[in-house]
Amino acid sequence: MTAPSFERFLLLSVDLTAFEETDLLGTGMAHKYLAKVRAACGDEAVTALLDAHRAARADAAGPAGNRARTPLDRDVFDRALRHRIFCDDRLGPVARNVIKLWYAGMWYALPPEWTDRYGTCTAAGTSTVTAAAYQEGLLWRAIGANPPGAKAPGYGSWSKPPRIAERYLKGASR
Amino acid sequence: MIASTIENRDDLLSYLNAAMSLEHATIPPYLTAYYSIHSSTNSDAAHIIRVTAVEEMLHLTLVANVLNAIGGRPDLTRPGFVPSYPAYLPDGEDDFTVDLRPFTPEAVETFCKIERPGKAPTADSRLVKTPDTRTHFLVSSPTAQEMRFYSIGEFYEEIIEGLEKVAANDPGLFHGDPARQVGPEYFYSGGGEVIVVSDLESAQRALRFIAGQGEGLDSGLYDAEGELAHYYRFRQLQLGRYYQVGDHPGAPTGPPLSITWDDVYQVKASIRLADYPAGSELARVAEDFNADYGAFLALLTKAFDGEPSVLQEGVCEMFRLRDGFNRLVCNPLPGSGGLHAGPTFEIPAGTGPEPQAAPATVGTTRTVTT
Repeated sequence: MTAPSFERFLLLSVDLTAFEETDLLGTGMAHKYLAKVRAACGDEAVTALLDAHRAARADAAGPAGNRARTPLDRDVFDRALRHRIFCDDRLGPVARNVIKLWYAGMWYALPPEWTDRYGTCTAAGTSTVTAAAYQEGLLWRAIGANPPGAKAPGYGSWSKPPRIAERYLKGASR
Repeated sequence: MIASTIENRDDLLSYLNAAMSLEHATIPPYLTAYYSIHSSTNSDAAHIIRVTAVEEMLHLTLVANVLNAIGGRPDLTRPGFVPSYPAYLPDGEDDFTVDLRPFTPEAVETFCKIERPGKAPTADSRLVKTPDTRTHFLVSSPTAQEMRFYSIGEFYEEIIEGLEKVAANDPGLFHGDPARQVGPEYFYSGGGEVIVVSDLESAQRALRFIAGQGEGLDSGLYDAEGELAHYYRFRQLQLGRYYQVGDHPGAPTGPPLSITWDDVYQVKASIRLADYPAGSELARVAEDFNADYGAFLALLTKAFDGEPSVLQEGVCEMFRLRDGFNRLVCNPLPGSGGLHAGPTFEIPAGTGPEPQAAPATVGTTRTVTT
């Protein structure tokens, strides 16, 4: 079996996190995260996840087999991701963990039901990836705040409201 | 002695505006090297570069204070304030290029040249004819056509002498509003104490401080405060050891410092927007950084042009720029054979904040209150 491809992991991560590729690469963590997922779940599960993601994209690309990253039919894609990945007993927990990994910078142990059924790997326990992972969590970008205790934004900045990106406001006003 | 190129207040204003541009121009090269270093590696080098960059920020502020003291109006948003890299600096009769480079031996060599003390051999060799091919020369004389200075130290010497000469003929030279000065209540923890300028003595002290801290005429390893001059700080990176008091310039005897040149993002040297794939997501991030930087310079202009308390807000923006810088340098630059992206510092026209509006809310971010 060939090792799970970094490019495909990155594309999966873009679709799972709703952050752009440059944001994900900009954390400097992408390669380490793939290594972590492989160590925690095994290459077989990771490859199956990437294959299911590719199939979900193909579903949404229409019959012409549109391989471009966009445009996808977003509704079809959303449904395909749920059907092929999130409701899958094996792939769903791994995908949810990949999301948590990007947002919190932390690998959470898979549920015992998962490890009972699909086996356990040496690195399966809850753990941080590197010291930088916490600071690079997408969570902080998403809420427009700095990670407490890190990436200090300057004296007095705590008195300022967070600067939340437009797309998270969903029409909310100031 | 050769005739002064500074005759009056207007000449001084031109020189001090050029000095602000010069002080700023050294910051992007230092920051590019600094942020190219992988986090938590190369701590000796990162520290030396960071301290120097912060001191350049103090120098910028000091020049603004001198400019304000004689009734000038600093403007960091004027076209050409940020040079196009590579830019040129003098090294005596010769010159050298200043690139935006990752932390490499070439970058350290450039930093040494930027900071190397350079006293002209004779009083009339302070000015050197600018070669025709040099368009981005950083220490040209703003008043003597096609002439540039032998060194940054000589450039400041000219201003220091010019201040004295003009002040002697114009007792009202230092008529600037004291409220425009950036004092220690607004600028702190940044490379030394800020000097409030109100007269000839304080103006000359501020400029001598700048020259003495780094780019001056040779005055030895340590300055009056016992601080190692910039040039020798960078020499430590070349020589692999720290200096200690009593050392000879060529042979530091302090603790060794360790450098791992591989723990560095290889940012493409003097990267331009044109190096980015047109229309790509990455190109947009690079453009956004430049727009944010432009908005930040507009904010600094506001702080230096009558509202020094705005500097506090500027500090927060600096940290946001840091995060944007880090995001860019972590990204590989497609089609460059493994090099990385970085800020290009090509500032778009008209990126200043609206008067009274929240500054630097570029892109899709805005302030929300609940």
